[in-house]
Amino acid sequence: MKILFIIALLFYIAGAVSSRKTYLSYTFGFLGSVSAFLSGCFALTRSQILWDFPLLHNVSLSLYMDHLSAIFIIIATISWMALALYSIDYSKLYPKKRLPLGFNLSLLGMLLVLTAHDGITLLAGWEVMTIFAFLMMQGTGKYFEHSYRFLAFGELSTIGLVIGFAALYVTAGSISFDALHKGSYFVLILISLGFIIKMDIVPFHAWMKGIYGEIPDNTAALLSAPVTLMGVYGLERVIPLLPNNQLWDIILILLGAFSAFWGGLQAAVVDKIRLLPAYSTIENNGMILTAIGFYALAEGSGMQSLHYLASFALAASIILVISHTFSKTLLFMSIGHAKEAYNVHTIDQARGVWSGVGRIPAIGIVISALSFSAFPPLIGYAGEWMILETLFQSYRFSSVAIAFSAALAGILIALAIGLISFAMIKLIGYTALGYDHGRKSRPIAKRFMHTAEISLESLLVMGGIGLPLVILFIGFPQLLTGLLAIPAPLVLASNQPAFGVISPTFIGIIMLVLLIVPVWIFMKNKKKTRKVESWNGGIKLEEDEFFTASAYSQILEHILRGFYHTREKKSKNRSSITVNDILLRPTEFITRMVQKTGKIMASTLMNGKISAYVAYILVLFITVFIISMVVK
Amino acid sequence: MIRWWPVFGLKRRLTEQKEYISPVDLRQPKTGIFNRSLFVYIVDVGSSNALNFEISALESPQYNIHRFGIFLTDSPRHADVLLILGRPVTKMLEPLKETISQLPKPFYTVTIDDHPGQPGLNGYPELPNHIAALTGVPSPGQILGLLLDIAKTKRKES
Amino acid sequence: MKVLIGIVATPENERLFILDKGKPVLTAVNGKNPEETFGNYSILKQHLSKINDESMKGPGVFKFRYGPVTAGVREAGCFYLYTYGEKILRATIDISWKQRGIAKAMLDKSPETALTMAERVCSNFAMSHSVAFSRAVEMAVDISPSLQTKNWRTLLIESERIYNHLYVIYKLASAAAQKVLAAHISALFEEALRLNERLSGSRYLMNINSLGKLNRIPEISNIEKIADKYLAVAKQFTKLYKHSLRNYNYLDRLHSAGTLTAEQAEELGLTGPTLRACGVVDGLNDTTEHLISLPVITKKEGDALARMEVRAEEIVNSCHYLADHLRASDSWYDATEKDTKSPNANGTGYAVVNSPSGAMGYYVEVNDNKMQRVDIFTPSYPGMYAVSQGLEDLIFTDFPFVFESFGVHFADAAI
Repeated sequence: MKILFIIALLFYIAGAVSSRKTYLSYTFGFLGSVSAFLSGCFALTRSQILWDFPLLHNVSLSLYMDHLSAIFIIIATISWMALALYSIDYSKLYPKKRLPLGFNLSLLGMLLVLTAHDGITLLAGWEVMTIFAFLMMQGTGKYFEHSYRFLAFGELSTIGLVIGFAALYVTAGSISFDALHKGSYFVLILISLGFIIKMDIVPFHAWMKGIYGEIPDNTAALLSAPVTLMGVYGLERVIPLLPNNQLWDIILILLGAFSAFWGGLQAAVVDKIRLLPAYSTIENNGMILTAIGFYALAEGSGMQSLHYLASFALAASIILVISHTFSKTLLFMSIGHAKEAYNVHTIDQARGVWSGVGRIPAIGIVISALSFSAFPPLIGYAGEWMILETLFQSYRFSSVAIAFSAALAGILIALAIGLISFAMIKLIGYTALGYDHGRKSRPIAKRFMHTAEISLESLLVMGGIGLPLVILFIGFPQLLTGLLAIPAPLVLASNQPAFGVISPTFIGIIMLVLLIVPVWIFMKNKKKTRKVESWNGGIKLEEDEFFTASAYSQILEHILRGFYHTREKKSKNRSSITVNDILLRPTEFITRMVQKTGKIMASTLMNGKISAYVAYILVLFITVFIISMVVK
Repeated sequence: MIRWWPVFGLKRRLTEQKEYISPVDLRQPKTGIFNRSLFVYIVDVGSSNALNFEISALESPQYNIHRFGIFLTDSPRHADVLLILGRPVTKMLEPLKETISQLPKPFYTVTIDDHPGQPGLNGYPELPNHIAALTGVPSPGQILGLLLDIAKTKRKES
Repeated sequence: MKVLIGIVATPENERLFILDKGKPVLTAVNGKNPEETFGNYSILKQHLSKINDESMKGPGVFKFRYGPVTAGVREAGCFYLYTYGEKILRATIDISWKQRGIAKAMLDKSPETALTMAERVCSNFAMSHSVAFSRAVEMAVDISPSLQTKNWRTLLIESERIYNHLYVIYKLASAAAQKVLAAHISALFEEALRLNERLSGSRYLMNINSLGKLNRIPEISNIEKIADKYLAVAKQFTKLYKHSLRNYNYLDRLHSAGTLTAEQAEELGLTGPTLRACGVVDGLNDTTEHLISLPVITKKEGDALARMEVRAEEIVNSCHYLADHLRASDSWYDATEKDTKSPNANGTGYAVVNSPSGAMGYYVEVNDNKMQRVDIFTPSYPGMYAVSQGLEDLIFTDFPFVFESFGVHFADAAI
């Protein structure tokens, strides 16, 4: 396991070194991810300390792999492997060397985060991930000011973690995770805030706008899926260890639910093809945060009767993580594929992927979008059902405030799921299955892209149908049971005795059986089917007569104009309707601050030289030490 | 106060029991599959609007076409009979062709030439399954008679 | 008030066809600037077949096409609704799908043949077209029809008004999902058509009017029964109408849909119920020959509801008017027929008739007993502009109420 881990690190470094040859570099990245995946598999059964290096008295740097790290490593590496494969083809479009360099090193950073067992290693990995993800953002060779926003929020999260661990050092005299239980509520709040910011929870999502449109696709996928996964991992790692605070748990639940709602609300109306999945990330991470908060609340209550519900909530959060990471990676890859093949930016322009670009990316969009819309038997259905089931069992708490907040969160999340389905149908209907207007895409290399897409597509379907296996894999065999006529492992129970729902496996089996007959009849009659143009009032539909994607969501923009701040402008020959994410404003000062310092940073730090980044990281390390020394 | 419409509606019996007779014979043998239901799509290709009014009158409760299983549909894709009103204006020839191509098989086409001999209009193009051709402005009862002929049922006075 | 009905243009000069206090007048432009006096001058001058055809651009804006073949608007015509989803930003109406070129086809035909063609421009306005045409020709060739003919023409136009208004209200009720009301009104509509047949032999009052005379005089023996029937229609309709005015669901849908102000209506040169619903008293009722004219009904709001109310009250008025005059019609036989002097072979004439939807004008030139020139000015053409303007800034759902409430027809607009 140790060897595999070291091999993985070496591969990543080799990938970074060979970044001039993009093909080779991504191959190394892939191989590194494979080794990391294998080491994760071994760690499922056996926890192990990988490295322990005493730095100072009471401060040692250590890497450690246990069951939780293993689960997250496996989830993350699957996404990385797919992305590395995808990037091999993708790099032919953008052959800048900073892209593979950033890719390999940010994977390395993330691997460190996933195995870190103390504050400093975590922060080191955290910074490496952030800085090199930032480097990747310039991968298209375009310079754009907005990218600093990402860095700004990245550093904000670092600051939260730094102060949190420094405070831990003050109270507990150690920054190892083992000492977390000695931490104060202050530590709890700061460290979890640090992770929450990384999860892009509202209102810390303000950096996205203006960025997601510009960055390369593999970077978008990386930022949206594995990078936010680190935030989730961080929370799942530290929350059980830190002292429990009911009020903070409720805040987490409500913040997560609101974030989910807000993400869904915004996703429903955006027309930029990559901003939609980005907002969907906010929605998903919001649900995950709520699940984690609920877990902390139930577990922290100390009541034996709630223990089962707590583990159900934790399982829900992990299922959501799995669903989100795979689906989002796949969605960004497929959309990126379509977007590059068409060379466009909006949902309207990227119509007709099925016929214009190819079946595989179209299926990728459909499957991932359906998974986000909680469509059985895909895995997203299981995750979203589990979170709702969890929240609506809040009546088990004796406190009215908790029951009420959880029910409120349940309502918000139910709304969020509805809104996100609305948004995803837009993506499916226009992009994946829309009319292509006879356009043909430009030829791009796609062999590896297809491999990556197909593997994730099949994983999403298998993950849903094989949900009992997934539940076993993440370590919750007690949640599987039978009910009425449905045999034992096919019911997911949120309560004992059984109170639950049929797992997607059963739905999958039934759907399969019910599908066979109609499909057979359809296939039998297929020869009789006559194909005609779609009926459009007797004449052909011109290209400017097609229902646009923004028109699809206009009714929502109008009805919820208070939320969207909808403004309409009409002149003689021009009309437009604008919607705003009003929650971008609270964090605007950060953006403004960044813009002010942007010029200074641009000339000194962000000039594209590796040495500058290394220097920056060193400075950060030193700062951490100084802070810890001073507070001590 | 709002009065309850259905009560008002049920008080009067407007439907008439009559024998509806088609003014023309069918030009083709008919299939038996429209016995119980006949869906009619109407396309106006240049009529003088009297026929449109007659179709509206046909929808009135006096005729109550639904009792025979005859319905006017909103899409040619659901239609069994395409009722072509008027003789086509040049510009409507293309839409007419397109409408016919949307009909599911088996289907019939029926033409009503409201003002035969009027200049400025085209003759009919080759129509598939052209089962009947009416001329003049037939009354709703006559149109209903023809549709009943096609559907193969006849409601006698009872 | 003066309304510009049409422009009679020749390569050399241009004359304005104006309705001045119920009297049609033809005046030369004479260097005056007609655009300032008449807002609709440029509309009539250009006479485009694509109405309000200006594109609308913007993010997400597209052209929603409705037509030419749809079940919603059964006539061949096409709407282009510029929108970004729900709201209609601009409505372009393409009437060219029904352009049959009838006015052109009338040339070099005898007035009698042309008269039958005039009836076929828009057969639900057959009587109005026929009367307007025959009056214009009668003026051109200088024949004056008998009093009896004039009276019957007036009555037949009223019966045309009844069934057309019933049709409009039936369509409105249907569009507003008032199925019971719609069914009852459509029953009355069919009843009115049957009364037409009993009165004139044709459900659409065709082939009864002729130049200078009627082809056949309605049979006197039935008159009493027919008059009773019209009264019954009026009674039943009043009941339904009062009923419907208590239905907020129905009223809400029509209220403030497709609102036009009096200024806008006059600017577009509208006439008929549309103008009267804006509170303007038009002189159209004065175009009635001989018989005393009906009271003018006006409403202030200018929306679909107001137009419906104007039509509803006109139905009742016309029914009573018809019943009264039909009963008195036997006395008309006493009226002396004018001695028939031989008509001129040449001349120009023009006439305006109060059709159900507004002023219907004809300008004709007869030369050697052949039609030299026919200009047809129908109420539906400016009406289409009104529809287009009324639809602006509404949402799709309002489309059927607005369109149906104007009572315009593509057959009438595109000749």
